Formats: sequence, C-alpha cells, structure tokens
Amino acid sequence: MKIKNITLIVFTALSVFACTNLDEELFDRVKDENFGKTPKEIEALAGGAYSSLRGFSDAISNAYPASEYVFFLNEVVSDEATIPTRGTDWYDGGQYQNAQRHTWTADNGMILSAWRYCYAGIAKINSIIYQIDKSGLSEEDKKPIFSELKSVRAYYYYMLLDLFGNVPIVTDFEDLGLPENSSRQDVYNFVESELLEALPYLPSNIAYSKFTKNVAYSLLARLYLNSEAFIGTPRWQDCIDMCQNISGYTLEPDYFANFATQNEKSTETILAIPYDSDAGTVGNYMSSMSYHYLQKFAVSPTGDYQWSANGMCAQPGVYSSFDDLDRRKSALLEGDQINLATGSVIIMDSGQPLTYTEDISNFEDAKQNEGVRLNKYEINAGDQWERDNDFVLIRYAEVLMMQAECYVRLNSPDLSRPFLDQINERAGMETPDIIDLEYIDKELLREFIFEGHRRTDNIRFGTFFQPWWEKGTTEAYRAIFPIPTSVLNTNTNLNQNSGYPN
Amino acid sequence: MYNKNSQINFSKGKTKKSFVLIIVLFFLTLTIKAQEKKTISGTVYDNLGVTLAGATILESQTNNGTTTDYDGQFQIEVSVGSEIVVSYIGYISETIQVTSSSNSFIKITLQEDTFSLDAIEIVAVGYGTMRKSDLTGAISSISSEDLVKGTVTSTEQVLQGKIAGLVVTQDTGDPSSGSSLRLRGGTSLTASNNPLIVVDGIAGVDINVVQPSDIKSIDILKDASATAIYGSRGANGVIIITTKGTKKGLSFNYNGFTGVSYASNHLDMLSANQWRGYVRENNLTDAIDFGGNTNWQKELERSTAMTQSHTINMSSGNENGGLRASISYLKNEGTVKTTELERLSTSLSTYQYILDKAIKFDAGLFANIDKWHPLDYRIFERSFNLNPTIPVYDNNGEFTSVGGTLYENPVEILTNRSTDNKRNRLLGYFKTEANFLNDFQAVLNLSLEHNASTGNTYKPSYAVLEGRSENGYGQKTYGEYTTMQVEAYLNYTKTLGKSNINAMAGYSYLDNSYEGFGAQRSGFVTDLFEYNNLAAGQDYRLGDVYSYKGKSNLASLFARANYAYDSKYMVTATIRKDGSSRFGANNKWGIFPSASVAWRITGENFMESTENWLTNLKLRAGYGVTGNQDGIGEYKSLSILGVGGDSYYDPATDTWSLAYSPAQNPNPDLKWESTEQINIGLDFSLFNKITGSIEWYNKRTKDLLYTYEVPQPPYLVGTILANVGELTNKGLEVTLNANIIQNDKINWSTNLTFAQNTQKIEKLSNQVYETDIIYSGSLHGLSGMSNQFSQIIKEGYPVGTFWGYESSGLDENGEFILSDEKTAIGNVQPDFTIGFGMDFSYNNFDFGFTSYGSFGQDVLNATNMMLYDPNRLPAYNVPDAFLNSGINSAPTYSSYWIEDASFLRLQTVSLGYTIPFKDSTSKLRIYVLGENLAVFTNYEGVDPEVNLTGLSNPGMDRFNNYPRPTTVSLGLNLNLGY
Repeated sequence: MKIKNITLIVFTALSVFACTNLDEELFDRVKDENFGKTPKEIEALAGGAYSSLRGFSDAISNAYPASEYVFFLNEVVSDEATIPTRGTDWYDGGQYQNAQRHTWTADNGMILSAWRYCYAGIAKINSIIYQIDKSGLSEEDKKPIFSELKSVRAYYYYMLLDLFGNVPIVTDFEDLGLPENSSRQDVYNFVESELLEALPYLPSNIAYSKFTKNVAYSLLARLYLNSEAFIGTPRWQDCIDMCQNISGYTLEPDYFANFATQNEKSTETILAIPYDSDAGTVGNYMSSMSYHYLQKFAVSPTGDYQWSANGMCAQPGVYSSFDDLDRRKSALLEGDQINLATGSVIIMDSGQPLTYTEDISNFEDAKQNEGVRLNKYEINAGDQWERDNDFVLIRYAEVLMMQAECYVRLNSPDLSRPFLDQINERAGMETPDIIDLEYIDKELLREFIFEGHRRTDNIRFGTFFQPWWEKGTTEAYRAIFPIPTSVLNTNTNLNQNSGYPN
Repeated sequence: MYNKNSQINFSKGKTKKSFVLIIVLFFLTLTIKAQEKKTISGTVYDNLGVTLAGATILESQTNNGTTTDYDGQFQIEVSVGSEIVVSYIGYISETIQVTSSSNSFIKITLQEDTFSLDAIEIVAVGYGTMRKSDLTGAISSISSEDLVKGTVTSTEQVLQGKIAGLVVTQDTGDPSSGSSLRLRGGTSLTASNNPLIVVDGIAGVDINVVQPSDIKSIDILKDASATAIYGSRGANGVIIITTKGTKKGLSFNYNGFTGVSYASNHLDMLSANQWRGYVRENNLTDAIDFGGNTNWQKELERSTAMTQSHTINMSSGNENGGLRASISYLKNEGTVKTTELERLSTSLSTYQYILDKAIKFDAGLFANIDKWHPLDYRIFERSFNLNPTIPVYDNNGEFTSVGGTLYENPVEILTNRSTDNKRNRLLGYFKTEANFLNDFQAVLNLSLEHNASTGNTYKPSYAVLEGRSENGYGQKTYGEYTTMQVEAYLNYTKTLGKSNINAMAGYSYLDNSYEGFGAQRSGFVTDLFEYNNLAAGQDYRLGDVYSYKGKSNLASLFARANYAYDSKYMVTATIRKDGSSRFGANNKWGIFPSASVAWRITGENFMESTENWLTNLKLRAGYGVTGNQDGIGEYKSLSILGVGGDSYYDPATDTWSLAYSPAQNPNPDLKWESTEQINIGLDFSLFNKITGSIEWYNKRTKDLLYTYEVPQPPYLVGTILANVGELTNKGLEVTLNANIIQNDKINWSTNLTFAQNTQKIEKLSNQVYETDIIYSGSLHGLSGMSNQFSQIIKEGYPVGTFWGYESSGLDENGEFILSDEKTAIGNVQPDFTIGFGMDFSYNNFDFGFTSYGSFGQDVLNATNMMLYDPNRLPAYNVPDAFLNSGINSAPTYSSYWIEDASFLRLQTVSLGYTIPFKDSTSKLRIYVLGENLAVFTNYEGVDPEVNLTGLSNPGMDRFNNYPRPTTVSLGLNLNLGY
C-alpha cells in the first residue's frame, strides 16, 4: 500500500512540475525585434531593397523584371516584340494574344505580375525603413540610408505611375488599412518630391548598381520626358536640365559590351540590376524564353546550353527597319542556325530546318522557326539557367537620346545632332540630314530594342494608339493598365482605372 | 435523506409519523438480516481459464454488489439463503446459492455469450479501453486477421477498403511511395487531412514505424465525440494501433512469401510499324524514321519484378510478465527499373508485473530501415513522346539522344544517375501502470520517436538531364525529427450495482524538434566519386549548403467521464485543452469538448418479443468539437527575418552579401481549424449472423487555414496564413458483416462497407480577408497552359471542382465544340466508396478475396488531353485511339477530357491450405495470393485510381502514370506453440 501511495505522489508531483511553456524557440531565423542592432545588421537589412529589384516568384505569379512576366508585359504590348502561339505552345489562356491585340483585361496574369513586382518591393522597403528606424541609429546616420531606400522606392512608384497611373501611395509599414487610389498627378508629384528630397543625401560617386545622385537625375529626367504623357504637362526643358546634371559616363565603344556576361565593366551603365548565379540570384533567363528549343546545338556541339522555350520574338518589320550596316542589327537573330556538331542546319522535330524568319505567317498558329530572336545579351556554351549578365535599366545612351528628343520637341533639332552623332557613330551609322520625331522614334527602337523601354516610348509618340501588326487602333484609356482583378477583389477601397469595366 | 424528509415534514405534517415508522422498520430489517450474513470470496474465470477483471457480483434482490479486481478476485458479504449473480458483459451470468454450508471460497467460470460478441470486444478509445458494447461514439475496429494481406509496403494499405468512410490512396505503383488516408472527406484546405496515428498510446507517430505483422488490432475513431479526447489533432479522425502482446507460453512464428509483379496496364501508343504505316499513308516526306522498333513504356520496365518478405517472431509469457520480439525483411521491386523498397524492421515489447500486480511496466521498441531509389517521374511523359522508331541504343551502344522538348531518352534518364535514399524510424516507450485503492489506475507513459532520412543523388557529367549542363551534379541531404512525449493520467473505474462509472483525467506534453542539412556541388572532373565526395565538385553557388532547425511544443490537459447503466444507457463526456507553440500569441489555448449518449434498445423489456432475430440494437448520438493544427508550420504567426537567397551586390568590394528580409505577414491570431461534428449511429445484430452499423454525420469545419491572398499594398507579401473559411462534410456509412455459415467444417463470412460523403465550401471570406475564388488543379507545365488552372475552390462547391468549358463533342472539322462560359464540369469527390470481401474455409482449405471501389469521381485525363494532339505526329508519338478520334484541334482543357473514373478493384484473392499439427497450437499454412488481378472501370487512362486529395493536383492523370503492379505470390505461415 505504501508503494502505491508513493506512486500516487510521484504522479501528482509530475503533473505539478510539468511544462506548459508555449513560446516559440527560434533556431535558423530571427524575430524582427531581435535584428538590426549592429551596423552590419543594418547593412544586411538595407541590402534587401536592392535584392528586391530582381523580383520574385510565388504561388500567385512570377514577377521577374528581366523575364516573366514583368518584362514580357512591357515588351509584348509594344511594337517591337510579340509572343505568337505555336500550336498549343504559348497560348497560356490567351494572355499573349490579348496583349498583342491590346484587348487585355484586368485578369491578365502579366499585369498582376507587374503590379506585385512594384508593391512587393515597396512593402519590403517600407519594412526596412521601419526596421532601421527602430535600430537606435542617430537621425543623422539614418538620413543617407533612408534617402537611398526612398529612391529605390521612388523607382517602383515611377513604374507604377507609368504602368497603372492612379495607384495607392503607401509608405507606412505598420498601417495595414486598405488604401485608396491616389490620382496619377499625386503619384507623379510623390515620385518627383521623393527623388528631389533624397538627392542631397545620395552618394555622388559612380557606384555601379547603387542609387546614386546620377540615378536620381536620370529618373527625374525620365519623369520629365514623359510628363506630358503622364499628367498632360510637357517638361522638355526640365528633362534636358536634369540630363545635364549627369556626369562620369561615356558610351562603350562596343555596343554589345553593355550586354556581355561581364557587363558590370561597362562605362555606360548608370543603373543595372546585378545578377550572379553563383550568388544565388534568380529570374534572369530571358535568352531561354526566346530561342528555339534546339538552339543549344548552335551554341555548343554537345548541346551544352540551357533549354529554350521558343517564345518571344520580334514583330515582323522590326528586323528590316535596321540598316544592314547598323551594328545593332545583330541584337536580333535571323536565318539558318547551324548545328556545331554537324556543320549543317539544325533540323527541327518536324523535319524542317531551323531558319528564323522575320515573317510570322499566322500569329495564332506560327511555325516554330518564325520570328527573329532576341540576341542582345551574350550567351555561351555551359551557361547556367540563371544567367550572369546584369540587367541594364539605364544607360548613358538614354541620357543622350532624351536630350536629343527634347531638343527636337523644343523645335531645335540641330541641338540634338551632337547627341545623335555619338549614338550613330558607335552603331556604324550616320545621323541623317533631317532630324524629326519620326527619326527619333525609330532610333529609340534601334538603340534600346528589347530593353523594356518601348511601351513608354510608343505611348509618348502616340504610335501606341495606331494600328500595327496584329493590332487595330487602341483606346486612349489603355495608356495605363487596369488594376488587377485579384487586387480589386481583396481591396474594395480601390477603384478601377477609367475605361476598364469594374 | 435527512433534508428531504425534513422538507416533507414542513409541507406535509401528516406523513411525518408514517415516515418515521418506515425508517425504524427499515433499520430493524437490516439488523435482522445482518445476523444471517456470510462472507464469500472467490475468483472469476473465463472459459479459457483467464481471470476476468471487472465482473459484477450482485446479491439478487438487493443493491449489494461488488466487482472483481484486476486478478479476477472478489469478496462479498451476503445473506445466507440468498443468491449471488456473477455477470460480465458478453458472458452468460452464473447464479450461485449461498447456504450456511456453502464454501466461503468459490471458483466461478463464465461461458461466453455468443449472442453478443461485441460485448467482449475491447476497443481502444484513447487513454484507455472500453467494451465495444459500452461505446457511445463512432468507432470501427479491425483485428489483425482482417487486415489486408499482400505485399504491403505502407501500413496504411492494410486498411484499404476495410473501414467505411476511410479512403486509402497510393497514387502510383512505386513501392517506395507512401499512401494517404482520408476519413469522412477532408476537413482542411491546407492542413494535412491524414488522421492522427496512435501506436500503443503514443499519439502522432509515423504509421509505418509499425509493421503489419506486429499489429494486433486497429481502432478507427471517426466522430468528434470519440476523437475530441485528442483535441487539436482529432479533426481528421484517429487511428489507434495496438501491437501484439504476448500470449501465455512460448510461441514461434514464421511468415514468408515471394512474388512476381508486372505492370497491370499500359497506354496503347503507336508501334514503330503503325507509325511507319501512318507516315506512308499520309505521305509525310519530312518524317524521320530512325530505324528502330521501340516500345518505350516497356523499355522502362523490369522483365520480372521480384518481391520477397520474411518475418520471424517469438513470444513468451507467464502470469507476471512476457516478451515478444520480431524481425522482418522485405524487398519489393517495382515494375519500373530501379524502383524498389527494401525494409528491415524489428520490434521488441515486454511487460512485467510487480508487487502482486499492483504495478505493471510495459515497454516497446520499434525500429526499421527503408532503402529506396527515388524515381524521376519525367520519364513517363517522355516515354509517350518519343517516336517508336528511335532505338534505345545507337550503333555505338550509346543511348540514342535526339534533341527536342521533353524528348530525352527516358531509359537514359533512368540509367544514368544514382539516387539512393534511406530512412530510419524508431519508436520507443516505457509505460508504468499503478493500480491502487481497487478502483484507481495511474499511468505514466514516456515515449520517444525519431525519424531520420538521408538522400543521395548523383547525375554524372554524361547524364542528359541536369548532368551535362552541370558537369556532374552531386547532392546529399539529411533530415530528422525527434518527438518526446510525457503523458500521465489517472483512471477511475467503479461498478455500483448496475452502474458502471469510468473517469479519466490527464496531462500530456509533447516536444517536437526537427533539423537537417544538405549540400550540393557541380563541376566534377571525374564521375568516379558519385555523391560520396562532394568537395570534388568545383562549382560553388549560394544555396549549395544549407541547414535548418525548428521546434514546437504541445501541452494538453484532458478528461473523460463515462457512465453506463445496466449496459443499456450510456453517457460519455470528454474535454481537452490544447496549447501549442505554433498558435499565434492571441490564441495560445484551445478547448475541445464533446458529449455523447447511447441506448441499447434490445436491453429493454419491450424488446423481448424480437429477441429471437434482433439480438442487438443500439442507438448512439454524439456531438463534439475537434481541431486540426497540422497546417500551421512553426513560426508562422511571427514577424521573422530570414535569408532566403536574397543577396545584394556591393560594387565597392565587388562582392555579394546576404540581405535579411522579412519573410511573411505575421498573424498573431493564427490558430487551429475547428470542426464541429454531430454523429448518429445505429449498431445492430440480426439472427446472430449479421452484424453491422449505420452512421450519419454532419461536420462543419470553421476557421479554415489557408494561405489567403491579401491585397498588396498594404501587405508585405501577397499571402497570409489565416483562419477564414468554412466547409461542411455530410455523409452516411454502412458496415455489414455476415457469418453465413459457421460450423465445424465450413466457415463462410463476408463483409461490406459503404460510405458516402458530400462536401461543400460554405465560406471563404470574413471581415478581414476577402476571397472569391481560389484556383487549383494547376495545368502549369503542360504545353500552352502556363498559369492555367483546371479547378476552383469556391463557396457552394466542393474542393476539387473542375471549372472550364463544357464540350459537346467535335464539329465536322474535328474542332472541339465548347460552351461560351466556363462552368463546373466535374468533381473529384466520389459519390460513394465501397469495400467488399469474403472469407471461406472448408476443412483445411481457405479462400478469400478483398476488393474496393470508388464511384462517381471525375478525373481529368490530362495525359490523353495532351497526347490527342494533331500536331504531334510524326515527331511525337500518339495513342492508337487518337487516329480514329477525329480530333483536329490543339489540346484544349474542357469537359471533353474529364472522365468518370469509377472503378472496382479486385485487390487480393487468396487460396490457402493449412497442415494441422498434432499439437493443436501449431500449424503450417501455405497459400497463393494474387493482388490487383482485375480493375473494373470505363476509365480510358492507365489507372482510374489517382490521387484525389490535396489541392495542387487532385483528380489529375498527368503523365505520372506509374502503373500499379499485378502481383502473384506464394507464401507460408508457420506457427509453433509450446
């Protein structure tokens, strides 16, 4: 009996001392409140703003600025690129056909990707500002960090201004209230003031891939260049003035040096998103989205090149708009593709030769070899799926072209000649006698082909609304995209952009 | 009594005197009787000579009674001349006359009452056992003899078709792939829908830690009144596995079988000659004939896939203790080359009584090692794509390699890589039971579960997929988890007259930690080392090494009370309070109550007239709330920073550094999903031949966990794990067992289960989060269907609703005729599922079969959808049937490709002969067993049985066609008893 009683006591005691601690113990990650205390930790936080520029993919969408679908969106609604349907390939619910024909709806996945790319970046920067604000850093030390962070954020808002216009402005990480639209004018003002306020604190040196004073000047110049398109107020002279603040860059003698695998050495690049597959960067595989499946045998005799998806190509007419002497023409790949192992033309599964043609016989059912391909960024045998070339956002050539365009628009085409001469000299071409807007428009296509500029340029020149290949006239309201359906569904405070059905 | 009388006194003065009189008389009578008392003690045995604990001893015509203790002993003081009635549920009561000359120590042997078999069946109910007859909840039980036999590589499979409402799915014929279990429809969108597994009282363990040969019985707790005792882990039902204990004496047992398997089905693709015929007829001059004659599906398969299994166990026991040990080996080759499962498992269990049976120690140890070679499922799509004229090997004996999308030689993929995985499972427990003060039992259960997996992969520099481009790729991974549990509970059992009282209360604490690491390298100068020397790989990238660790705790308090009167009226109530570290700060603790009642109608006097045919009729009703917390990973409620490959470039130093970024939207309100369930059940027994039960239930799951989309802005990331939606499952289950003939020579019995479930999403939004539609059933990865979905999750529809264009066939051009609007065009939820089996024996011969079926579920035959493509020929192969299909349109997702995948599978057929030994405790049985001998279905794909669970691809037949094997095996069982 005694032993039985002892057992009872032991059990009772066990229950009394038993544990009920339910706090989570972390091992391989850190609670936000425990991070951001040392300068190194603060640097690691701020670095997140830059890594956000490479975008992300999640269960909802891919949002890569260099590939799917942010890049796709800007390209395929413009007059330079297209993603034709080939058999079933690249049909994907018709999203590329709708984009080509300017009949997109708010459900288009590419539009959602672009929206999420921007707002994920903005939210991340808001959280970093919040985090660093709590770090105990002095206000003086915070100033340059915050200025840099806010400039990156302003870049995202600039894109939203360009793509969607009337978007909500959110700057407070802690505020989870559902925001309302701001007018396009307000967004414009916000971008301008954020950049202007940040300017004094931004580094004035040339720091590759960083948001320096030169980057802020370039973004402001872009803003003023498109001011008429964005808010109806032309600011051509402001654009020129801003361009003239930019210093320290020269054109690379070789146009393609800007797109080499090691393009970080370019003297021309003002802003780029750096990529390095060894450093684990993802989302840079545009080349694989354009070449034919069998292109690998034209790169390596053993086929030691990544799989390619045979997607995006140039619209008919783009390739022939390049003079044969124009060095930039080889940014496009046309003609027979030679199998390096056999020395003869690659034969596709259909038994036909792989010869890229400018013509696309049927947009809805194109042949596998139709359309000339993007060939701007360097490719090599043995490339990883995640490419190492940096994705160029702003080149010095753009600063030259902006000034050239503004002088033409200000009716002083002669003043634009020195800028255009630099561009043409490198391209192996000559500036024509008559410099007009139509020439500027075509020159922009040739200089910046497949750099994601074309939609904005088309809108600024008004060509966006005119018919082109596989597209009729475009309604004016399509100058901005609709706010994505899933965003409207989850935030009932938002209104759809006018013209689009609610 | 005193108070009551005094109240009466106040109200009714007149009666006061008569009451006093009665009381006086009553005490007088007692005094008189007391003078003629006699103390009787004794022991109660069953017909096998085992002592019966808990038998009732009642002095007839009085309230004087007692029950036998754990050794079957009792002591009672009774009046001389009275009768004592000894009874025990399931046994025929004995009446004994007590005279002055009666022996004061008696031995009573009760005979089994064959009329109410379920009364003696003991059912595990969680933290204790109950007699089946006393159950108030919906619990199905199955004993070891009734488990599905055959080449079982996952313990789940032994339940296939056996339990009404339990669906067991193994999606492929790959022996190394596990099975999923789902009871009464799924309750969750994100969280696991697998029932909680309890082995010998240890909750939450991997079911495969126990081998089928070690299982004595399995009890499936279905409704909330039964599972609420497991609180936040009970919503998907609970499967309680009790392993074999020891028998008295010494016994030795050997089980072994060897079998041959082959793929049960293939897709009929064009042969090389059919392809050539097509090319000639259509004058396709560009078509390339590679000169071979290859059936790519067959090329992936073994000529003979062998399976062998050997199990040896021994047990020895006596009154005070015993032990049982077993060891088994299984090697099951899959029909596809390289696939197999090799398992070595052992178990050891022992118990010991001390201090005159006051204390019992019970310990068990289960361990096994699995080895297998994971398969790259991409080979199947390629086996349908490749032109049949391509030979497997070229003239130089090298693998033929023809470029093209999804066109790599699948035999090369299968051959040119090494994938070797291993898993160790371990479960150990030590249980101490103390019996004291007659009615109390205290239990302390300490347990440890450890599960560790290693993975090894090497793709040599000549391997076409991921080998060449990486110049050799090697990877090693390791992951493990450890769960420690302490459980202490106190049981109280008391019989007062006809009342049976049972109460239990306890506490449990669980600590689960997991950790792992991995490394990968590319760029090998030589392929000689495979994955054994990763340092020889010269390419280093971020993410090539990683490690992780996490931990969670679960603390619980629980209690249960049962009251049964005369085995006629039964009430049970349970409550559990669970606190989990995974829950958000605002919801750390959840409470899960339940209550249920039962009425054995046949125990009533008015049922005497039906006694001859209706031997048992019992009505049960219960309600309870249970939870599911599986969908909440660790740290999901917190605001945390991680380093998810987020590097940034520093131009000053030309280096990359890691950024620390917030990883998720924090949710301090995060909590369990809670399921309310009502269950009404009827148990019956007819003519002593047919037993069965009918269950009706209605489950409503609230606070559905899902990673809901949230608006950006303002949220940091696009989704948040939150508790929002509601879904319901309603259903009916019928279980029938019939002993058609039972005599000395012939034993013929059958069993049938039927289950029907209707599921509906009731809500997907609340005040905070709005969701209209969740797209699921992704078609991503199929040509032209990037980011396209085949299914929706939407209010008013069940999970797995196909959403697309209705097709009314083909027009004259061979184009699909499609509706204008997308609608619901099918559903993966079956209308009903059945299981049917039979056992027949005649003298020493035995014959039996088991089968199961699922009816009314729709499956998207995406394999055919993509293969019936006029653009494929001549480069890509097509099914024979395509040529006559008339289809002249590119693959389009519509109802055209949704098929009714109803099927009935003949799962096992066995024929055996038992050679009797002179010693009746020994025997030898030899048998032949056929598995998956036939499937009755109209489904056009390789196999109608595809995964119906989960959200990513339920009900999709999508190039993952590892055909289920048909297996024939020969085995023998040898039992030696001493």
